[in-house]
Amino acid sequence: MSDQDPVVGIDLGTTNSVVATVRDGVPRVIPNRSGQPLTPSVVAVAKNGKLLVGSLAKRQAITNAENTVYAAKRLIGRRWGSKEVEDARRVLPYQLVAGPEGNDIRVVLGGKPVSVAEVSSQVLSELKADAEAWFGAPVTRAVITVPAYFNDGQRQATKDAGRIAGLEVLRIINEPTSAALAYGFGKKLEKKVVVFDLGGGTFDVSVLDIGQSVYDVIAVGGDTYLGGEDFDRRIMDWLTFNFAKENGGVDLRQDKMALQRLRDASEKAKCELSGTPTADIHLPFLAAAGEGKAALHLTKQLTREKLEELTKDLIERCVAVTEKTLKDAGVRPNQVDEVILVGGMTRMPRVQRAVRDYFGREPCKGVHPDEVVALGAAIQAQALVAPAAVGGEVLLLDVTPQNLGILVVGGYFQTVIPRNTTVPTNQTHLFTTVQENQTSVRIAVLQGESDKATDNELLGEFVLAGIRPARRGEVAIEITFDISADGIVGVSARDVDTGQEQSINVTATSGLTEDELKKIIDEHLDDQLEKKQSSADLERSRGRVAAVVAEIEALVPAVQKALERSRFGRDAVQKAEGVLARARQAMERKDTDELASVAEALERTLQLFKGLAAAPPDGS
Amino acid sequence: MATAQELVERGIRAYVEGRLDDARRLLEEALQVDPGNSRAQSYLLLLPGGVGRGPAARPPRTVAALGLPRPVSRSTPVAYPAGLATPLSFLVPRPTPEPLPAVTQAPTPAPTATEPPAPSPEPAAPQVDYAPSPWDDGPASGPAIVLGSEGGLDLTAVAEKSDLRTLVPRAGRPSTPQEDVAVWMTAAKDLLALGDFSGSLEMIEKILKVDPEQAEARDYLTRNEATLVAMYESKLGPLGKIPRLAIKPEEVMWLNLDHRAGFLLSQIDGTVDYENLFALSGLPRLDTARILAGLLADEVITA
Repeated sequence: MSDQDPVVGIDLGTTNSVVATVRDGVPRVIPNRSGQPLTPSVVAVAKNGKLLVGSLAKRQAITNAENTVYAAKRLIGRRWGSKEVEDARRVLPYQLVAGPEGNDIRVVLGGKPVSVAEVSSQVLSELKADAEAWFGAPVTRAVITVPAYFNDGQRQATKDAGRIAGLEVLRIINEPTSAALAYGFGKKLEKKVVVFDLGGGTFDVSVLDIGQSVYDVIAVGGDTYLGGEDFDRRIMDWLTFNFAKENGGVDLRQDKMALQRLRDASEKAKCELSGTPTADIHLPFLAAAGEGKAALHLTKQLTREKLEELTKDLIERCVAVTEKTLKDAGVRPNQVDEVILVGGMTRMPRVQRAVRDYFGREPCKGVHPDEVVALGAAIQAQALVAPAAVGGEVLLLDVTPQNLGILVVGGYFQTVIPRNTTVPTNQTHLFTTVQENQTSVRIAVLQGESDKATDNELLGEFVLAGIRPARRGEVAIEITFDISADGIVGVSARDVDTGQEQSINVTATSGLTEDELKKIIDEHLDDQLEKKQSSADLERSRGRVAAVVAEIEALVPAVQKALERSRFGRDAVQKAEGVLARARQAMERKDTDELASVAEALERTLQLFKGLAAAPPDGS
Repeated sequence: MATAQELVERGIRAYVEGRLDDARRLLEEALQVDPGNSRAQSYLLLLPGGVGRGPAARPPRTVAALGLPRPVSRSTPVAYPAGLATPLSFLVPRPTPEPLPAVTQAPTPAPTATEPPAPSPEPAAPQVDYAPSPWDDGPASGPAIVLGSEGGLDLTAVAEKSDLRTLVPRAGRPSTPQEDVAVWMTAAKDLLALGDFSGSLEMIEKILKVDPEQAEARDYLTRNEATLVAMYESKLGPLGKIPRLAIKPEEVMWLNLDHRAGFLLSQIDGTVDYENLFALSGLPRLDTARILAGLLADEVITA
């Protein structure tokens, strides 16, 4: 692998994903093969069995809801039965089931359970293919971004998705870090920055300290169920309500096709209203009006004021979350030097006004809200393989996204390393026994934000045995958490008096075992190989058929001449034309089966023509 | 004026019911309206004499030779009261039956029969565009109805008291869905045998609209779906082609589409090829292919 081989940065978003690279020292987004910078993070198995990824999958997301997976990011690396998964199950139209081990999630797609990492890998594969088409060369290395609050399991699952897609994941970096990196690219900054990221499905706010090439996330907060889709839904509800009012109670919510069009039109109108004061929505033949009646049209104008009225509470929620995050970080709004807007929703003028009102300053307009995260990832990727290309190594200091600690008496969670602690780090706390003559203690290592242990993620557990028998509270047990730069959490427990010690290394898992992962990767490679082979087979068949067609065509004049003096086979040319037409169609349609079938007919025709063309003049 | 399609359907109905002359007349009328109408041509081929009756017409192709069912013949001639055969004759302008003025608009509404005949059961009415003429069924029979001394004829009363059916447009006596289904099914089979797949499919769609679970129609669809899909797809050309709107977006409103075609049309934005339209339409492949072929034929889209 040479430093010259292309590397990319990928913003793997909840609703949209973007791939970018650094070329000639300039970070830039790679458009997908449809020419768009954004690729919807949607994977589907269409009703005709075809696997769809990106905008095509999104365009049938409502009409084929049970086989369309969106917002996989909300599920990746989560454990079956966790609160987040239960919340998701209530709102997602597709089916979730427990994995074979019962602790991770599988998504039922096309009737088959697949891991969430596999679903995300489809999006990554699509982006990889887009990048390869753009570079004209294979792309095998990438930096992928994740939300700052992702725990280790979620980060590992994202890495696994990259591996399945055939990418070596050079590093997983936090989205706000990435945005700040793009913002600070080429500048010497020492600032306190807030990244206000209102995307399609989630809202994240982060506070960073940017030093000389050092990006330190000091606080993260957000709402995983607040984003552009909520704004779209408000428009849809408004349109649906008005349509029913104007059309004798016709309820568009009962019609999936109508809903699909409504959603697309709502999103389009919302985007338009960021640039214009009004947006016209025309949806001809939207719904059936009943037997024998003409289909109904929807024509409506939405004003910016109306949109702001419909979504007022959503914007207020964004401000409330921002306020809480800054409070947690001990940062006052007037201490913030810069606010970076990320995510398409921040183009909405009312959102920008809310940010301006809260921080008392204009948000930064110098970066593209949809692309900034991917651009930052591209800069990081380039810095890792060829630091000189981006002006030297960029040092990213990441922090622990959530509190790390252990389970204590009463089912409570005791934090040992608080969130936002810069890694690598280590912390030691003293604990004691709760029972008389207790000789062993169970150490359950947890990660999360709740005081209740059961609400947090269990990373691993072990038992420290051989404790000196003593009255409760007399034994001192030292618990040490050690997080390496690679994110591996080591936890040790030591009886201070006896020196008895036990430890565990918590390696983040995505829910997939290594064997499962290898199997999936092998299958993925097989699929790719099969595609390549079938593509090669197809090309060979087309080539063969084309050659025979050309040969027959060349013989036609001779055959026609021969037929003029023959009593037999006068319809031979006509029949041959039929076969040739079939062959041409099969070649155009790239229909392998039809090519195989027509090849025989072509062969027979060719032999017949050769015979006719070679017949002596008096032959009959 | 009836459209070619309406005339063809009426012609098919007449053919299926064995009224071959009516069938010919209607199909020929359809061809006058739409000279290229392939379904009219197809059915005319089934009729003795084929297209046109002159010596230059094609040699007759018998139904049996095509493996088609023979047209049904009316097996239960309707009996008409002998006494009314002559008085009614001036109301029946043969050979071209025209709808009569509504019977309730008779100039002299008056009581008529002094001796009502014994009530006879309502005959099983075949589905026809016009009630059959008494002349079609040979000598009339049945009890006479004696007119009142004031003269005049209350056709409503006559109809109630006899099995005579007045010559009124079919609209006055709608057919039942079951009868329609039988006619459409026969027509579908005939058209399929003639190679008129789209006409045949139209008939099946009519049946399934009335009765979505109709077993024979479902079975037909299953057996012929691949052929039908291939036929429509061949009209589309290579499936890798990207269709585009051939009219201005604001003109879409003036088309005559149903909501499914409206949905499919909304997906045609110049970025999606036919194959992917099949994937994202959410409709059965046959429906998608048929709608797309229709839009292409109507020059709403181009590829």
